[in-house]
Amino acid sequence: MSSVLACDRLTVRYGGKTAVDRVTLDVPAGRMVGVIGANGAGKSTLINALAGWSRGRPEVEGEVVLGGEPVSGLSAYRRAHRGLLLVPEGKGIFGGLTVEENMALVRTPADTRDRHAFGEDEIFALFPRLRERLHHKGTALSGGERQMLAISCALRAAPRVLLLDEPSVGLAPRLVLELLKRMRQLVDLGLSILLVEQNVRAALSVVDDVYLLERGTVVAHGPAEEMREDKRVVEAYLGRSDIEIAEPGSPHP
Amino acid sequence: MILVQQFINGLVLGSGYALIALGWTVLLGAARLVNFAHGQLYMLGAFVAWFVMEQAGVPYFVSIPVSVLAVALLGAFMQASMTRLVMEQNLTSLMIVTLGFGYMLTGGAAILFGGAPQTLDSPLQGMAVRTGGVWFTLQDVLILACALVLFAAVWLVLNRTRIGAMVRAIAEDPKLAQLFGINAPLVYLGIFVFEAATVALAATLVAPRTPILTSMGFEEVILTFMIVVLGGIGSVGGSLAAGFGLGMFTAFFGTFVSPAYTTAAAFGFVLVLLSVRPKGLARR
Amino acid sequence: MKDRRERSFRAARAALPFATLALLFFVPEIAGGGSIVYSTCVTIAIFAVMAYGADAILSYLGEVSLGHTIFWAGGGYAAALLSTRLAWDGWLTALAAVVVGVSLAAILGLATLRTREFVFSLVTYAAAIVAFEIVFNWQFLGGSDGVVGIPLLTLTSPVGDFTGGSNEELWPVAYALLALSILFIHRFRRSRLGQEALMAQMNPDLAMGLGVNIQKVRLMVFVLSAVPTALAGWLYAFQRAYVGPDMFEAYFLVFMLTAIILPGRRVLFGPVLGTAIVIVQQTFFSIGGDGDKIILGTLLVLVLIVWPSGLIGAFRFALRRLHR
Repeated sequence: MSSVLACDRLTVRYGGKTAVDRVTLDVPAGRMVGVIGANGAGKSTLINALAGWSRGRPEVEGEVVLGGEPVSGLSAYRRAHRGLLLVPEGKGIFGGLTVEENMALVRTPADTRDRHAFGEDEIFALFPRLRERLHHKGTALSGGERQMLAISCALRAAPRVLLLDEPSVGLAPRLVLELLKRMRQLVDLGLSILLVEQNVRAALSVVDDVYLLERGTVVAHGPAEEMREDKRVVEAYLGRSDIEIAEPGSPHP
Repeated sequence: MILVQQFINGLVLGSGYALIALGWTVLLGAARLVNFAHGQLYMLGAFVAWFVMEQAGVPYFVSIPVSVLAVALLGAFMQASMTRLVMEQNLTSLMIVTLGFGYMLTGGAAILFGGAPQTLDSPLQGMAVRTGGVWFTLQDVLILACALVLFAAVWLVLNRTRIGAMVRAIAEDPKLAQLFGINAPLVYLGIFVFEAATVALAATLVAPRTPILTSMGFEEVILTFMIVVLGGIGSVGGSLAAGFGLGMFTAFFGTFVSPAYTTAAAFGFVLVLLSVRPKGLARR
Repeated sequence: MKDRRERSFRAARAALPFATLALLFFVPEIAGGGSIVYSTCVTIAIFAVMAYGADAILSYLGEVSLGHTIFWAGGGYAAALLSTRLAWDGWLTALAAVVVGVSLAAILGLATLRTREFVFSLVTYAAAIVAFEIVFNWQFLGGSDGVVGIPLLTLTSPVGDFTGGSNEELWPVAYALLALSILFIHRFRRSRLGQEALMAQMNPDLAMGLGVNIQKVRLMVFVLSAVPTALAGWLYAFQRAYVGPDMFEAYFLVFMLTAIILPGRRVLFGPVLGTAIVIVQQTFFSIGGDGDKIILGTLLVLVLIVWPSGLIGAFRFALRRLHR
């Protein structure tokens, strides 16, 4: 299986403190990979470093490879042009711009040989709510609508791989599964996704592969079915008595 | 009749003020940047036009694009050297750096163009229209027309185009804009070049009305600041209205009260306004 | 044993500023005396005191005051008008200079109480230009001609009377003013107000959480900062025997900022060092008035773009490199 995004011994330091320590990770084409871990394990730092993006000024070491080409030296907007699209945690859209304007900000690249740029119709089919809110400003949207808009913007840019940082934050539990299920549909259509998620139960129900991050390093890695049985995952995140995983479609307890 | 005449004067003064402030309105409102060298760029715009008219003997209307281009290039250079500060949104340092640039320009222009007052000659300045006891020049008409056209164009670009949306996006969150594939430093460069170019254009249009000196520029910064605050920081339409308001005030206060203290009086008003509303007369 | 050495080392460190300060008095003597040396030293002292006022705002409040020329001119005009028209002596005019500076700062400070960053800077800047226009046009204040014929500085005291005729005679006064300003900033840095100002700059939310009244702190610092600058203007009036609207020129503004930024912000002796460098350049290595403007502006721009921590910062960086 060919890899669409990979990093080799990626290390991120903030003012001398190591937040991500020699992480090696691989997103195979057409798969959904999850990164799980506790608060402060370095999940967001990792996914931001993959996109070459940060609110602070971290030092980043290690190689990031997108579709076989190294992108480590490129700034965030160049990586975006090449199809590495990050939807950051929290505020991922411009509140002062309308839904339409937010979407128009993204320019669909001219060369999309092995990529698919989502057209308006496809996006509205995926998120019908957005069509109704087309002329509303970003600030007028609900948390879920904002998240949908942020993802839509990324989809318009013809992603090779979509990086989602905690899309569930601020959403009602029912919406979380709904959203992740739709992301799963996109993967089944051929998109590759790297998902960082604190809601481990929900994440495990949709992803193919899982990386468990603790204090900046990968402590376990494997297919989702195996990781559901993994002792560390079960103890820390799922709870002993509750190993049953909710099916994607069923209502969340 | 004097009222009508002062109304016309106010209209012309105001459109001149608004033109001078236009670039800054976009710079400050849309990009959250400041440029204290704004007044010196105005000075330079007038002097470059004067210089090429004197030295190369080119006509006034050719000197305008030359001056705009030269000052735009200078603006690009300034912005390129400040990119790091801009991306860090280090406003304190940016203010001081642009002040330093302004001071360099004052010194450089004095060496290059000499310390004597000069006149930028526009053929339209000599063409006066007299009708029914009031008069104005064709240059005045040009200033008014340019102000209206430029403000309309900028409003349309900012609110109706992808470039405008990009500028507003950058103003809101330059980091996030990168994730949308936007090259933020390039957009900043564009905005800064636009600011420099429009103030140079304003200078070539407005300066023929008065003698020009290399030491000028401070008054223009204050005027611009007052317009931007009165207009509601960043509001293009507001700036145009504020420009006209300030022009009217200058014309009437100067005629009926005291020409020496017009700026002081206008500033007093802005000061009171700011102590009540620290962010200016913004929409909300 | 080690403890004692540590303690004496600390005491020496604490005494260092005072020793440096005492040494400064002999600088003109060491530099060879002579009238040009004394006039340069007096000018450096006056300009440094002027810059210390702005330093309190820029270094500790983190704002850029572009209105300090108002206090500078305010002190100068107070000295000039009261000594020529009412024949007030040095003490009284100095007191008046402080009162004028503090009152103007209180008005401007109250008006800008709720403004921040560029709005604050622009309002102070605009205030300075408007003040210039008023002074320039108001005949009562001397109008565009300014005030000429300021008498020699006289300070009467029980020990004896002092008259500052030449720059050499003015030096002790200039030095005393400089020493007082440095001690003032030294005290201010350690004072509660100074700490609160720094906190309000670095982390306003935390400061507010700790019960710091940020607006009050800002106003107090602003008003206090006018005192050194006004007193500098006071002495400048006596040194030049003339004041005019030129005291509002952008030169003084850019000068203050350069004197602070060039050595690096938040350095106790920074403004003196910066002032000395610029004044020495302009006195002994001048390339003409307009050329000097380019130099001054370039210094300001270069330091902030290339090395924001200034000369002292670069020096410390080099020291650390050597130690390694």
